[in-house]
Amino acid sequence: MTAVGAAPEAAARRPAMPPANRASLRALSGQAIANVLLAIFGALFLLPMLWLVLASVDANASWSVEVPHLTAANFADALSGSNLQSIINSIVMSGVSTVIATICGALAAYALSRRRIPWKGPLLLAVLFLSGVPLAILVIPVFQMYSAIGWLSLLPCSLFLAVTSLPFEIYLIKNFIDAVPRDVEEAARMERAGTFQILTRVVGPLALPGIGAAAIYGFVTAWGSFLVPLVLITDPSQQPGSIAIFGFIGNAYVRYGDIAAFSLIYAVPILLLYALSARLFRGGFVLSGAVKG
Amino acid sequence: MTARPGAPAPAGTGAGAGEAPGPAAAAQAPGRPAVPQGLRRDAERFQWGSLALLVPSAALLAVLFIIPVVYAFYLGFTNLQLVGIHAVDWHFTGAENLRRLAGDQVFRYSMELTLAFIAGSVAGVVIIGLALAMLMQTALAPVRIVAGGIVIVAWMMPAITAGMTWYASTTAGGTFGTLLGLANSDFLHREPLLIVTLANIWSQTGFAMMVFGAALRNIPRDLLESAQIENASRPQRFARITLPLLRPTIVTTVLLITLISLANFGLIYVMTQGGPGNATDILPLYSYQQAFQFDNLAYGALIGNALVILCAIFGAIYVRASRSRA
Repeated sequence: MTAVGAAPEAAARRPAMPPANRASLRALSGQAIANVLLAIFGALFLLPMLWLVLASVDANASWSVEVPHLTAANFADALSGSNLQSIINSIVMSGVSTVIATICGALAAYALSRRRIPWKGPLLLAVLFLSGVPLAILVIPVFQMYSAIGWLSLLPCSLFLAVTSLPFEIYLIKNFIDAVPRDVEEAARMERAGTFQILTRVVGPLALPGIGAAAIYGFVTAWGSFLVPLVLITDPSQQPGSIAIFGFIGNAYVRYGDIAAFSLIYAVPILLLYALSARLFRGGFVLSGAVKG
Repeated sequence: MTARPGAPAPAGTGAGAGEAPGPAAAAQAPGRPAVPQGLRRDAERFQWGSLALLVPSAALLAVLFIIPVVYAFYLGFTNLQLVGIHAVDWHFTGAENLRRLAGDQVFRYSMELTLAFIAGSVAGVVIIGLALAMLMQTALAPVRIVAGGIVIVAWMMPAITAGMTWYASTTAGGTFGTLLGLANSDFLHREPLLIVTLANIWSQTGFAMMVFGAALRNIPRDLLESAQIENASRPQRFARITLPLLRPTIVTTVLLITLISLANFGLIYVMTQGGPGNATDILPLYSYQQAFQFDNLAYGALIGNALVILCAIFGAIYVRASRSRA
């Protein structure tokens, strides 16, 4: 950040000394090269996205990138009937999973951060270890367990998704609660606030950026999940959008424009949440200053 | 803590004994100053209420995480099938599946594919992510914001969107073919593993870029400046200062990218479904295929166990790498 402002300034100050002048010239050319390289990287990363954007508004889209015959019909198709249902399913699945994981995670994180718990170190290590276990191995036993009790549907699937993001959420929230000063909490306890009140009135609001970040992590994970709903939801009408996209391809004739529009729509909530989390973290920095004073 | 050798001992045993120092701990809580030595003033005795806070998470993790892991291990040594007679009447078969695994050419191939996919992804993500983070340090704000934004959007995209995007771009008639003047060459079909790896790199680099960006900002400026005054060249400064200071971050990022790449099932499934043939059948996909497409639930579980062992090996390498000081 500071480098951007500093380099021209240094260049302006130095011309009196010839060797330094050469150095500053080199710094300037280095900056130019950095800009060009970064622009090239940006363009390369943008390239695959071109089709997504262009085809989504093209009336006769194909796999190729073409100048689109503008239309909004693709988006209308992508948001109609069973497609809309699949997006609603995604919202329910991700929402339920996020609520379960974040509430359970916050409670456990508070206990692990503040309370004396035997074997705390190994316990935390175990939690961290769990967050690294690949999901592919859990799907088969959970499928077997769920099918035995007739649970192969949307809500149990959400519950399982909650469990898969729980270990990392616990870790994330715990790190934030660790940073909340204990003095605030002790003051509340002197006022005879109970644990529940301390959680909801004191620690909760102060650790909100962490809890928010954990909730966003949980939502994004569930929203993007593919393998878990593919295996754990048998009823096609309960499938989330990530699976529904396969219906588009399996159709008698492939409607490329719809695929692009639907893929784009499916990415929008995630991008919005990312913007939100960036704001949340900015709020977090302000907060840490306020608590200190 | 270690400064006063006498003090920590009672505190430590107090934790183990639980109830014994209880009244003392309770009494010191309001007044506090009564505990001068080693004992942390906030050290509390164990409360049963803490258990209530832990129970929801512990129950969920036990029933839907730990038990399934153990169950999967057992299932790998049975003859469970998705449909048919062995869907209901299944039993322990000992090492039979292991023998099958040992002779399974596709499994060997899948293992090689997995290692190649991981190696390619990790190398690509770390190198490009680090390069981007360093370029961002010197580039002008508009370039930085636009390019960084694009890379981060690529990272945020759900797997199916990323998969669709890359499928369209690399199939016959796709963007890459058109740009390279080979409009009808089907890159995805000709070099499936390479394209899938590139797609994975594309979708993970934003994460590495942000992590490295934060780590680079934490490198003290005066270190680099004093090296510059000593006439150290740019590559020298990078190799002698930046890289060693970034080492812990790089090691952690390598492990995370390894695990995230192995979990990126949706991306590959959308693009190739493991094909063409078995050309992109990395272990998670092969496990799924055996379990739910060929109906061999037990064999799929065993392949999953192999994946766990692979992850454990990666984890062990990571622990070694993060402890040794090179």
